[in-house]
Amino acid sequence: MTKQLGFLHNSEKCVGCRGCEMACKNEYQIEATPQWRKVFQLREDDFSLPTRMFFSMACNHCANPECLRVCPVEAYTKRDDGIVIHDPNRCIGCRLCTMACPYDRPQFNPAKKKVEKCNLCYQRIDNGEKPACVAACIPGALELVEINASLDQKTGVLKTLPGLPSPKITTPSIRFIGPLQGQQIRRD
Amino acid sequence: MGDWEWPLILFTVLGQIAIGIILMLWYLDREVDQLDAKLFKQGVLVSGVLLALALLASLFHLGHPEAAYRSLAHLSSSWLSREILFFLLTFLAWIYLFWQSRHLTIIRTLGPGATPITTAEIAAGKQQSANHSLGLGITSILGLLGIASSAMIYVLPRVPAWNNVGPVLFFLLTTGLLGALVTLVLGGKLLQTVQKKRLLQWSLGCTILSLLLYVVYGSMLNGSAEGTASLNFLLNSPLFWIRALVGWLAPLLLLVSILKKPQLDKTTLILTVTLLAVLGEVLGRALFYLSATGIHITALF
Repeated sequence: MTKQLGFLHNSEKCVGCRGCEMACKNEYQIEATPQWRKVFQLREDDFSLPTRMFFSMACNHCANPECLRVCPVEAYTKRDDGIVIHDPNRCIGCRLCTMACPYDRPQFNPAKKKVEKCNLCYQRIDNGEKPACVAACIPGALELVEINASLDQKTGVLKTLPGLPSPKITTPSIRFIGPLQGQQIRRD
Repeated sequence: MGDWEWPLILFTVLGQIAIGIILMLWYLDREVDQLDAKLFKQGVLVSGVLLALALLASLFHLGHPEAAYRSLAHLSSSWLSREILFFLLTFLAWIYLFWQSRHLTIIRTLGPGATPITTAEIAAGKQQSANHSLGLGITSILGLLGIASSAMIYVLPRVPAWNNVGPVLFFLLTTGLLGALVTLVLGGKLLQTVQKKRLLQWSLGCTILSLLLYVVYGSMLNGSAEGTASLNFLLNSPLFWIRALVGWLAPLLLLVSILKKPQLDKTTLILTVTLLAVLGEVLGRALFYLSATGIHITALF
């Protein structure tokens, strides 16, 4: 693997419009039940001051993908750019990957009786385009980035947010810019 | 929380009984006296039927059972692939055992016939005995590897209640307990007193170990929020208390009574304790799947 592509999500910019969810569904004509990408609302009491913020999550194309490890049919492969691809033609619907992923991102499609997930729009990336969710994000909260040490050293870039599983389990390829804390002004 | 995974419950419990029977036949053949030819034949047949039913049940868990053959593709890291490989090898070894059991009957019925047994026939009998002991051993080892692989599938970092040695020990104890009890039921009068006693002691040992292990396992679950959720689910579920009653307490008392009072009618009691233990293990396996709580995103959505 030469590099690791992933997402950078800025919770300060995200307004929770779910445009990324819709763009993903529209691009791949996904049926109602599976949600390859999902917008979550952060708990208001997870921060020192009450705040209403969101984050958007699809497959995290982890550095140590549990889905890939447990899959008995080799439906998962990891490309040189770090994208974890799921091949539905190989999937037999054993659902072991859905049990192994702490982010619940491989989703079982009851109509097709197979698992599906985000493949990071690799065909669009190969054509020099942005993934559908990134292209559709109006406030520019979602970006496609290369996950590396220089990104992690930038001020404000976080590896996790409150309410997310420990990144130690699978080393997900997503980074966050957390919400800025509001100012509380005391009037005497 | 998990779901009622009936195909997986049937696959694991039936597969473990099947391998348990072969393991017990091997144990009796090696450790105690010669195994009765009829018991060998019956045990092998029942074990094969249960193994076939188990493999059939496992297909119903898949979205696409017709493509199940592909599950052998990822032996390098997937325990599910390894499980299927070992179960298929066990089934192949069982076919060899079945062939042996048929062949054994022919020799034994010809032996005590009108014509006297020749030296060559005695030598052939000894060779056969060595062969079926080897067959039982190979099938048992492959089966135990299959069961250990089955358990390792569930050792997932995401599920704290499973991410430990618990699944492997639970699955092996089910194999030992139900294997011994079903062999006792199948054996009936074909088993010698010493063989019956060994199997009863083995069953009692497995029941006590299973109970103690569960106490230790339960006390370890409090280490994480998900583990605590699993423990709370178990303690608040009526199914768990039924499992404790029919799967641990009742077999424990009945097995001690049978072992302490040889004058008791053992056939009915052994059948009762076997049925209770099977029910207990089925409920235990259902709870294994139902109580699983994975680490997940707890943000609102």
